[in-house]
Amino acid sequence: MAMAEPTLHRKEDRRLLTGRGRYLADLVRPGTAHVALLRSPVAHARIRGIDVAAAAGHRGVLAVVTQADLEGHVQRLHHHLPMMPELRQLRWPLLADGKVRFVGEPVVAVVATSRAVAEDAADLVRLDLEPLPPLTSIDEALADGAPLVYDDWTDNVLLRLEIAHGDAASAIDGGTHPVLRRRIVHHRVTGAPLEGHGALADYDPGTGRLTLHASTQSPHFLRTVVAEALEMPESRLRVVAPEIGGAFGNKGHYLREEILIAALARRLDRPVVWSQDRIEGMTAGIHSRQQVHDIEIAHRADGRIIAMRAQLRADLGSAELYALGMAPALATAGTLPSVYDIQDYAFVVEGVVTNKAPSGGYRGYGQPQAVLSMERLVDLLADHLGLDPMAVRRANLIPDGVRPYVTAGGSRLDVGPLSEQLDEMLAACGYDELRERQAAERAAGRLVGIGVAQMVETTAANPHALAGQFGGYEMATVTVHPDGHVSATVGTTSHGQGHETVYAKLVADALTVSPDVVDVREGDTDAVAYGAGTWGSRSAVMGGGALLLAAERVRAKMIAFAADMLHEPTDAVTLVDGAFRAGDVALPLSMVANFATLHTFAAPSVEPGLSASAVFEPGNTQAFPDEQGKLNMAATHSSGAGLALVEVDAATGRVQVREATILHDCGRIIDRVIVEGQIQGGFAQGLGAVLLEAVGYGPDGAPLVRTLQDYPMPTAREVPVVRVLHQETPSVLPGGFRGMGESAAILAPAMIAGAVHDALRPLGVPVAQSDLRPPAVRDLLRAGGVGLDLDAIAQRALAGLPD
Amino acid sequence: MIAPRAVQLTVNGRPVEVVVEPRELLVDTLRDRLGLTGAHLGCGHGSCGACAVLLDGAGVRACLVLTVQLEGAEVTTVEGVVPGGGTGNGPSGGDDLHPVQVALSHCHGLQCGFCTPGVVLTAVELLAEQPCPDERTVRERLAGQLCRCTGYAGMVEAVLAVAAETAGSDGDGDG
Repeated sequence: MAMAEPTLHRKEDRRLLTGRGRYLADLVRPGTAHVALLRSPVAHARIRGIDVAAAAGHRGVLAVVTQADLEGHVQRLHHHLPMMPELRQLRWPLLADGKVRFVGEPVVAVVATSRAVAEDAADLVRLDLEPLPPLTSIDEALADGAPLVYDDWTDNVLLRLEIAHGDAASAIDGGTHPVLRRRIVHHRVTGAPLEGHGALADYDPGTGRLTLHASTQSPHFLRTVVAEALEMPESRLRVVAPEIGGAFGNKGHYLREEILIAALARRLDRPVVWSQDRIEGMTAGIHSRQQVHDIEIAHRADGRIIAMRAQLRADLGSAELYALGMAPALATAGTLPSVYDIQDYAFVVEGVVTNKAPSGGYRGYGQPQAVLSMERLVDLLADHLGLDPMAVRRANLIPDGVRPYVTAGGSRLDVGPLSEQLDEMLAACGYDELRERQAAERAAGRLVGIGVAQMVETTAANPHALAGQFGGYEMATVTVHPDGHVSATVGTTSHGQGHETVYAKLVADALTVSPDVVDVREGDTDAVAYGAGTWGSRSAVMGGGALLLAAERVRAKMIAFAADMLHEPTDAVTLVDGAFRAGDVALPLSMVANFATLHTFAAPSVEPGLSASAVFEPGNTQAFPDEQGKLNMAATHSSGAGLALVEVDAATGRVQVREATILHDCGRIIDRVIVEGQIQGGFAQGLGAVLLEAVGYGPDGAPLVRTLQDYPMPTAREVPVVRVLHQETPSVLPGGFRGMGESAAILAPAMIAGAVHDALRPLGVPVAQSDLRPPAVRDLLRAGGVGLDLDAIAQRALAGLPD
Repeated sequence: MIAPRAVQLTVNGRPVEVVVEPRELLVDTLRDRLGLTGAHLGCGHGSCGACAVLLDGAGVRACLVLTVQLEGAEVTTVEGVVPGGGTGNGPSGGDDLHPVQVALSHCHGLQCGFCTPGVVLTAVELLAEQPCPDERTVRERLAGQLCRCTGYAGMVEAVLAVAAETAGSDGDGDG
């Protein structure tokens, strides 16, 4: 029976709109055991004893597990980077032993018939802790005589890496050029996907197979990590990422909770689930971005930068995270020159361990800090020299022309002309007219600012240098079934990016069928041999590339089959509009599919079956640093330029983003609506990261952010509609795609910080920080001589009251 | 533990009886007892709105309501927003989505979908109260629904599009 189906934009939309998406917590079947974790209530303490007797005796409790119970059954975790001698080679347990090192560190796992009972029982565990002094900042952790987070270390530095590209030292220390020195401070935020992390494991003792559902971005990588920890063959482990309620890099690590749940299911011989609740997510999840940059720039009087030297320190919190939580800071260091032509560049990057939750990836992966710092420096340099900031940008932009442009750090930038991109974006905004409007508003006493930022984004990366294993390649299989329907499987995961829609379109185009007959499956280690998942703006490029290769193989096979059926040479047969044609004869694709699988006698010279797999390895990344420390992570890069117009409320310090424009180049666009959705959404996250959000800790190491009431994320009230413009400079990779999912999240903080800087320019207070929440902006205003105006504040408060 | 109590209520038009501990939240009753997993638990503190449902026609956070409070109440979840629940099994066949749902898809007002059920119900509630709200009103009302993916532009556009459609069909709007 034919139905009148309303046309929906994405294949995934119907189930998500009707509440039928099956996220991790929706998969729990009756009889599943629930885990509650007793987590450390203090930031730093020695564990003297753990008394679980009362909890173990509580009605409904199935097991109470400490690290002592896991020893010998589960291997400790590590960073997989023995090739990095500067890195402290750390091994850490799933549950704390010896010491606790941050509030929220898991100490005891209570397994019970329901989460509520497990939490009741966790309350009955008695921890005997001997408090130690907590470290909550880089300064505290690096101070002489600071307490040690790890007793056997000599300081609190996980990794100190010093690399010099070219000769920055002689330009900066030589005395021949003026040198600008500035500190840029990046505060701590968190990706906070709306769905928390979670894991659900089911062990079948009959077959020895374990199925782990996890809200993870990389199921194959997680499978490898779990198999190693549990000393299980990977062939018996299946990891499935079901519907995912947002990830943003936050779900790109392999959590000890995920491994613990697999271990508990194997031990208890029944399904076991853990769903991270919001307090766990905020206090014991993954934070991001806290860094301090001390940067020196040798420059000419006309604003041209000669050399740059940077000391970058990351406040990591706990180091006990795989993949390496310091990796984003390494990405910051590697990409700091950003869109500017600075070949003499030296840096020292230090990962400092403190008594806070671990930090790790968040959309942009270190690049938002690099771009924000560089754009701040360009503005600060322009102000210092009394030059037009746009002129200083242009004086330093990577020249148009030869590509790839090789950065100081070795990145091979394959992007289009950046100065043309900047000009086009400014022209689209009516930049000169905006400046005139701003002058008029300033004259009327308003603090209005215009901020410009530009970036190149590392996309489709090879993560080996940072993870110590894995590759950037991707695998896919395309199968044409006897009824003409098509299965496309690939090793990525979707968490909002609309992969089913995008991939179906690509495969459908290759086979000249409707996307409606293409079913996409991903996020399941049983569906494809290996895959890297979704992170680093890789899926269109890598998943799309692998699917295009696989679809082409199936197409070639069908051509051969059709040619045999038609008694024609293969080069006489074409596939057009769903039919194989030779001369006047046309065989529908579904007929060839049917014969190639079910009636194979029709083409005896062709191997039966219509399934082909492909591995896409672009082969142009450099996974290991060369002797000069240079490496090229990305298979391709995207680029973008943006402008934000903000107004600062002098009374409250509140910043309103009135307008935003982003011109973006992600090569060939597969689905414009989805691309623009990624830009609008990434911009909102960037806005939140500078204007609203901050993860704070008290001096005792107590987290100040426990719920979403403590962590105001952007709402429909604050986020403007971003005007999105496109350039389409194809990459050289299959399809011509470039990654783009993180671009706006990289640009937005720099755009907004630049605009606030510009708004405050008449006051002479520079913006050199990412935290531009109202109290921080009020501090800047106060430094600029704007005192408290209580009447104005009262008026704002009254205006904000509901009608 | 306080003894469980029986509660009779109507969920998506069907009478149900559940026996719950007094501490059980509506969101858990819906998800764990009634299999209605469209209400998502995003925070458990009433902040995010992913568990929003309609209680006697008015929006509530199912994570802030105790099931024992609901004797005789009528609850609508995303699964009940239209007859058939958008599964293609409703009386009108496949074309059984609410206009808000269709508009959210057309305007790309959803990405990962985790916040979407709460957004659908909040928009349905708003449009029932005010068929033609202005953008400011839509944004104010949606401000209680956190979305980490979309940046809200498509969501706001979708609600305004449904409102414009309503205005057009009443003959008093410019569509």
